[in-house]
Amino acid sequence: MLAWIPFFEPMNSIQSVWYVLLIPMAFGIAVVYKALHEITYATYWRCVLLMTAQIVCGIAAIAFAIGFFVQFVIPHLNSP
Amino acid sequence: MTAVVLGWILPGLGHISIGQTRRGGLIMFGVLFLVCCGVLVGGIDAVDHKHDWLWFIAQIWCGLLVIGIDVLNQLFIVPLPIPQRATLVGLSHANEIGTLFIAMAGLMNFVVLLDVLHATRNNDLERRVLHHSGGDS
Repeated sequence: MLAWIPFFEPMNSIQSVWYVLLIPMAFGIAVVYKALHEITYATYWRCVLLMTAQIVCGIAAIAFAIGFFVQFVIPHLNSP
Repeated sequence: MTAVVLGWILPGLGHISIGQTRRGGLIMFGVLFLVCCGVLVGGIDAVDHKHDWLWFIAQIWCGLLVIGIDVLNQLFIVPLPIPQRATLVGLSHANEIGTLFIAMAGLMNFVVLLDVLHATRNNDLERRVLHHSGGDS
């Protein structure tokens, strides 16, 4: 990590917590989307944070649903 | 059409050129934030038109910045022998997430370019605030 050159070498140390990067990705998408769709600037950042939370919660819910399906439903279907 | 070209050269510049300064600035911040995060996580190997050409189709919509990163990758990383390349190429999630960040930035900027085609001049965020509050400009 000490010899790591930012913006040139990849951040391989983030392997174990890669899913945390969903938050900045959702934030960046929300910033651009709301810049196009918001009418007033007064509520802009509040809407960006709300959309970020909605994306993160939505993807987390899908992950839990798929995890539940793979871990519990499929083994149950395969059992005699 | 000039605004679309400007918006491709530097994300947000298209909206700024038609007088939507604040909207363009926010778009520029958002797209560059995604690209910077992608390069920070995946390194400059996150953009590679030879090995990840399908992703590159999405990433190219970020404009010259992504082309510059790809040129740097082709100049400094791709020609290296494999033992030296190993430390400079993203592994597994780092490469995937870095590539995904920049692809998302490109796709968002594609939407921005479609928007700027139909955008009206000087219809910026702060002006709409003034109209709604009954302002006189």
